[in-house]
Amino acid sequence: MNTIAPTAVPRWKTALNMIINPGEVVKNQMTKVPWPYSLMVSGLSFTLFFLQTGLDLMRNGQIGLSTVILITMLGLLYGTAGIALLAVMVWALSQAAERNITMEWAISSFALGYSATFVYALTGLIFSLTLGWKTAVAFGVTGVLWALRPNLFTIKQMSGERTAFSIAMTTLCGAILLLGWALLGKFGA
Amino acid sequence: MEMRLGYAEGAGPDGVKFWPVYLCFVIFGIMIPFTKPEFKILTLLFSLLISLVVGFLAVNLLIAAFKSGNAALREANGQFAREAVKNGMLFMIPFTVLAILAQFILGWNAVMPFASAAIMTAAATAGTEVMKKGAQGIKNVMIPSVLAFVLSTGWMMLTGILP
Repeated sequence: MNTIAPTAVPRWKTALNMIINPGEVVKNQMTKVPWPYSLMVSGLSFTLFFLQTGLDLMRNGQIGLSTVILITMLGLLYGTAGIALLAVMVWALSQAAERNITMEWAISSFALGYSATFVYALTGLIFSLTLGWKTAVAFGVTGVLWALRPNLFTIKQMSGERTAFSIAMTTLCGAILLLGWALLGKFGA
Repeated sequence: MEMRLGYAEGAGPDGVKFWPVYLCFVIFGIMIPFTKPEFKILTLLFSLLISLVVGFLAVNLLIAAFKSGNAALREANGQFAREAVKNGMLFMIPFTVLAILAQFILGWNAVMPFASAAIMTAAATAGTEVMKKGAQGIKNVMIPSVLAFVLSTGWMMLTGILP
């Protein structure tokens, strides 16, 4: 008889695993991650991403420091309320409740998918601050693209492994995020 | 013409279609010349050729890697690798659509980050698909990722030196 109790995986490891092996995390580990923690990850990711957008615009002389702060706050809103709304939309469209998947699970899994965005955004910010590079597109957008894979697995899980639906929804979510970012950047400028 | 060598009895490739995958590579190949300062037909032709070669290598090297690393699965189902690669590589579609959006609607002039993320994600997803079919070991995720990294890096370098 196996008497060894399974060790709990730390949440930061789960967040990193979401980048490397999202299929496993979505299937087996997401029930242990509370949605506020996941929203904190996505919120931080978009805050840093939007901060870089603001810094890029400021370097171009298009905006001042106060607008950079405004854009950064918009990023926080985008990464928390925006991502939660997106998750709820996909949850509803995929009729995930019929598969006993809760809205909280959907928000948590969707938001934790932005761990990769956080890594990219943090790296980009370091390059932006130390070398003065314009990093919003190179690091920020790439980070958002890398979040599509975890999102895809989350949507697959919610939709009962429907491939065509998952591809369509992942595309829609990616398009909403990128268009939203482009529009908010213009609004901030 | 497709060769049927290496398939288990009765397990032909008829049900596994790769055209959506190659279409994604073709679309990337068409978009790349638009990121250059000046659009040239010669650039388009080279770009299409490179994209198709990268696509062909990605699909076939992944199939070969999965087959060589999972002998037991190969015995049970000769098509498992083709099915997994097809299912995984289909996930290039969202990146391709978003690249079109970024290039032609948002005017970002940044096709290669999308292409790179597409190939990396699709290859890793193919690895996950193989594991769903019963393959064991992290090698089924690591090898596709390394392969995709090499191919996408090569693709980016060749794109950089296009005429």
